[in-house]
Amino acid sequence: MTLRKTLIGFAAAAGMAAPLSAQEVAVITPYLAQPGTQFYVDGFSARAEELGWDVNVIDTAGDVAAVISRIEDVVTQGVDAIVINVDPAQIGAGLSVAADAGIPVVGMDAGSDPLVAVNVTSNGYAMAVETSVYVANRIGGEGNVVMFTFDPFPPVQVRGVIADAVFGNYPDIEVIDRITPDVSDGGIADSRAQMEALLAANPEPGSISAVWAAWDQPAIGALQAIQAAGREGEGIVITGIDANPQAREAIASGGNFEASVAQDFEQIGATTADSVARILSGADIVQRVVYVPTRLITAANADE
Amino acid sequence: MTGIIRRFGGLAGMLAVVLFFAINLPETFLTARNWLNISQQVSMLAVVAATMTVVMVMGDFDLSVGSMASLAGVVAAVLFVQEVSIPVAILAALGVGLLGGLFNGVMVSLVGILPFVATLATLTVFSGIAFVVSDGRTIFGRDIPAAFGDFARGGPQIGMVDERALILPNLTLVAVVVIVLIWIVLEQTSYGRRLYAIGGNSEAARLAGLPVMWLRLSAFAFTGVGAALAGLMYASRVASANPTQGDGLMLTAIAAVFLGMTLTRDGQPRVLATLAGVLVLGVLDNGLTQMRVDSYVREVLVGAIILIAVGLSALGRRGLTRRA
Repeated sequence: MTLRKTLIGFAAAAGMAAPLSAQEVAVITPYLAQPGTQFYVDGFSARAEELGWDVNVIDTAGDVAAVISRIEDVVTQGVDAIVINVDPAQIGAGLSVAADAGIPVVGMDAGSDPLVAVNVTSNGYAMAVETSVYVANRIGGEGNVVMFTFDPFPPVQVRGVIADAVFGNYPDIEVIDRITPDVSDGGIADSRAQMEALLAANPEPGSISAVWAAWDQPAIGALQAIQAAGREGEGIVITGIDANPQAREAIASGGNFEASVAQDFEQIGATTADSVARILSGADIVQRVVYVPTRLITAANADE
Repeated sequence: MTGIIRRFGGLAGMLAVVLFFAINLPETFLTARNWLNISQQVSMLAVVAATMTVVMVMGDFDLSVGSMASLAGVVAAVLFVQEVSIPVAILAALGVGLLGGLFNGVMVSLVGILPFVATLATLTVFSGIAFVVSDGRTIFGRDIPAAFGDFARGGPQIGMVDERALILPNLTLVAVVVIVLIWIVLEQTSYGRRLYAIGGNSEAARLAGLPVMWLRLSAFAFTGVGAALAGLMYASRVASANPTQGDGLMLTAIAAVFLGMTLTRDGQPRVLATLAGVLVLGVLDNGLTQMRVDSYVREVLVGAIILIAVGLSALGRRGLTRRA
């Protein structure tokens, strides 16, 4: 009798405890095939496992409307929280369904939206600080600097604003051109062409001290132009942002392309899980954007 | 026996899928809210598949519907950027669909290129134009009028469940209207019967005096306009447009028509059977997501289920032919 009672009690306890312990979180993205996204999801899943969650990763293979459909499905299923990795402006229909059901949505480098409880991302302002200050220090606070920016795209525009401020703060640094390259073919080719024109217009060695690019592609284009003009020996310093594989390779080889900034994708994923945990524990979320630190990449650590 | 399998095997299989999810998801699957969700999720596919049925009735294909859907969405969005009013932009996008469909019709019917080749070529052409028109960019945010995006989120309220409004989605209503129209065209008009005659035997239809050339040409207008409408529905649902967003509709629409053909007595495409095919695909996505099946495994399962359904139907038909 005792044994039977114990068993019943055990079963009841297990049955009662199960719905409380295993939180269900759905991660929905159209971009799982892209390398960066995979790192976000790995970081998220690792942290979620520590927290004992049931995680369902859903990839819609590039189909944004299907993201809305899958949000509707997991809302019906009754998950505890939803994590998205897609521009919230495109999935407003899904966000309002989740909001109606009282299910929190957290952005994993997704973008800000009134219906996204928290968005975890990298700080574009801070990334631009890293490279623009690197340039200023590297050229001893004086010289002519070429900037590659792209103001039509807000995440890149903020980087340009910071570089403007940093270079403007040095009386002996002059920004001789602020170029917005044509990005329709990726941005490398047109940046290279524009840089070639600038090199031709400034033939004196030392007349260009540095190239600051708001992302890696123009930096690579500028590097190619400098190499093609045979002017890689003049000590022109190039920096980019994002530290994509091509940029890392160029930096590691020790040429003019000296620095870029890497986002910590795995940490963004892990911090997203932490933010979900805070929301599920009922914490009052005041700051709706959470930044994860980025890292300056130079020849010293480009191979890592 | 084979006749019974052939006639009802497909239907039984579809009911089995529904039953499977009903048992595994007892609390959520068979609810009004979930089925309204599914109806909204498949609405774009339903429109493309219904109009695809019109050409498949004649034994033809239109592979360009996905890129036409993308193109139509992008055309409307670019017009929105130019501050063109919503009705004008929608009419222009549908006009592009009509022209593209008629162009396909001319290539297939007048010029005489195989539909597979002709529409594969226009698939590339339409996709390229979509990239040219949009400059390769996604158009979203303030460029898209709020009312256009709100359409896909709204619909008449039909009740309250758990203190949340239950709405009949506008997108579902659009799909229903299209399916009814196509049903009338195919089943209730001499035009539709003539298309089936072409599908039965094109040469006989021609000898019987049917204007086969014009019928085939005009039928492609349906797929063009249907694809454009689906592209607009997609753009409204995501409140944005990019030059590739409708591309996935093509293969799924053809799959839905094939699934539907397993239900009909003579293995012919019928629009209501196509609708059943669309619903099965939608139910699979919805149910497997709720059961937390991995998205890649989900794709394998959906493909396997199409093969099983169409395979059983083919085996059944072969058995019947042998007996005859």
